[in-house]
Amino acid sequence: MNMFLQELKAYQKPTIIWSISIVAIVILFMALFPAFSRDADEFMKVLEGFPEELTRAIGLTFETLTNVLGYFSYAFLYIKLCGAVQAMNLGLSIVSKETRNKTAEFLFTKPVTRTQVLTSKLLAAVTSLLFTNLLFLFSVIVTVEIVKTADYSRQGLWMIAASLFFLQLIFLGLGMFTAVFIPRVKSVISVSLGLVFAFFIVGMISSSTDDEGLRYLTPFNYVNDYYIIEHLNYEMQYIGIGLAIICLTVILSFVIYRKKDIHSV
Amino acid sequence: MNIVKREMKANAKALIFWCIGVLVMVGAGMGKYAGMNGNGDTINELMSEMPASLQAIMGTASFDLSTAIGFYGLLYVYLIVMATIHAVMLGSNMIAKEERDKTAEFLLVKPISRSTVISMKMVSALVQLLVFNLVTLVSSIIIVERYAGVDETTGTIYLLMIGMFLLQVLFLIMGTAIAVFSNNATKASAVATAILLLLFILSILINLSGNPDLLKYVTPFKYFEAESIINHHQLEPFYVSLTGILIIALTTISYIYYQKKDLNL
Repeated sequence: MNMFLQELKAYQKPTIIWSISIVAIVILFMALFPAFSRDADEFMKVLEGFPEELTRAIGLTFETLTNVLGYFSYAFLYIKLCGAVQAMNLGLSIVSKETRNKTAEFLFTKPVTRTQVLTSKLLAAVTSLLFTNLLFLFSVIVTVEIVKTADYSRQGLWMIAASLFFLQLIFLGLGMFTAVFIPRVKSVISVSLGLVFAFFIVGMISSSTDDEGLRYLTPFNYVNDYYIIEHLNYEMQYIGIGLAIICLTVILSFVIYRKKDIHSV
Repeated sequence: MNIVKREMKANAKALIFWCIGVLVMVGAGMGKYAGMNGNGDTINELMSEMPASLQAIMGTASFDLSTAIGFYGLLYVYLIVMATIHAVMLGSNMIAKEERDKTAEFLLVKPISRSTVISMKMVSALVQLLVFNLVTLVSSIIIVERYAGVDETTGTIYLLMIGMFLLQVLFLIMGTAIAVFSNNATKASAVATAILLLLFILSILINLSGNPDLLKYVTPFKYFEAESIINHHQLEPFYVSLTGILIIALTTISYIYYQKKDLNL
């Protein structure tokens, strides 16, 4: 319990900063929605001048994109990016910071097992993420409700917004897993940004070209917002893969961490 | 000279990873182009009628995606993001790491002035940026030409890469300046990357709002956009000079302040 509280306190400030940033992004993006919605309406009129088969092809995606839910999914992409960096940072930090700050000796001479240590740290990290997600959900629901121009599917919004937590858990696991492998993480942010952006870019390439194979490679695309908007359902095989990654990385991290050589000086 | 060598050696591994990353990115990205069949003129015509905010959300901008160079323009944004993250972390790390790793004392008691230290580090960083840029340039030319077949794309790629190099240098110096001014060495690269992310998201918001206003001067991601470079075959002189001025100003400030900086040894 002491370790848990100590860790919570250590991540208090970054968690608050991340939460505020994410809420700010939500507000900024959603504030632009009214103007965007006007643009979209105007373009709808332009569309009428084009051949029908063409407008039918583009119109479908278009309507999904231009209502408040589609617009939010677009903004959500960048929120996911921030959320992933936050989670990856946490995952890397909880494992690597004792070595970096030279507190490993202090901690590991206490009468607790390494499993207990890592469990408390993991729980503290998950709590921090939960806090961020609660604030995020709240801000999304309020802002969307304020800027909406037409009715939208509330269930869809919940399902999309909730997937942030899922993504963050994957990256938390990946972060821990990476940190148990690297003997000494000198700078958390370099490692996490490098990896997160690599996944993000693969995700962007995969979604702009509709490549199903690449989708498996990047957690960013496990939850497809547009699929949710249409079917109000997650794609279960990807959720399965995500859960498998979370379990595997966490379990393996524990196994390796128990035997890891920890530098005390 | 020894410092340059030392710095190169310390960063060699990271640089190789980044270069592999950018190679994969260009290769995989353009590989996707080969798999895409041309959209045809009507879609392009339709796209060009679209308001800017809609183009942003559809992820196309006014690129002609049926040509190789248009598709490359789409990739360019991500190349820029990669290159600038690399640069900003390099810049902040080269200053911050001496304090973080407690090597500042060792380095600064050597019979060289602080400005020599910074200059040598800068030289080594510039060489690395150049390597990164050349790898991108050569791989882009080879790969894009395979699909384009027409020689005129090469000139555009040169221009795009010059733009990228200017941004790389700008962000390098920005990272350096942040590290020089920050009192906490472990936080320096986190702050630098946070600012980078902020500027990136700002550039997306500007695309979305459709009317750039004054804000477009704030974020360097809007200075050299593939869209205008590809369509007009030139870098905008105004932004080139703006970048130049920013680089000179930030360099001067960093040099002056580093002379007097209180180091935590």
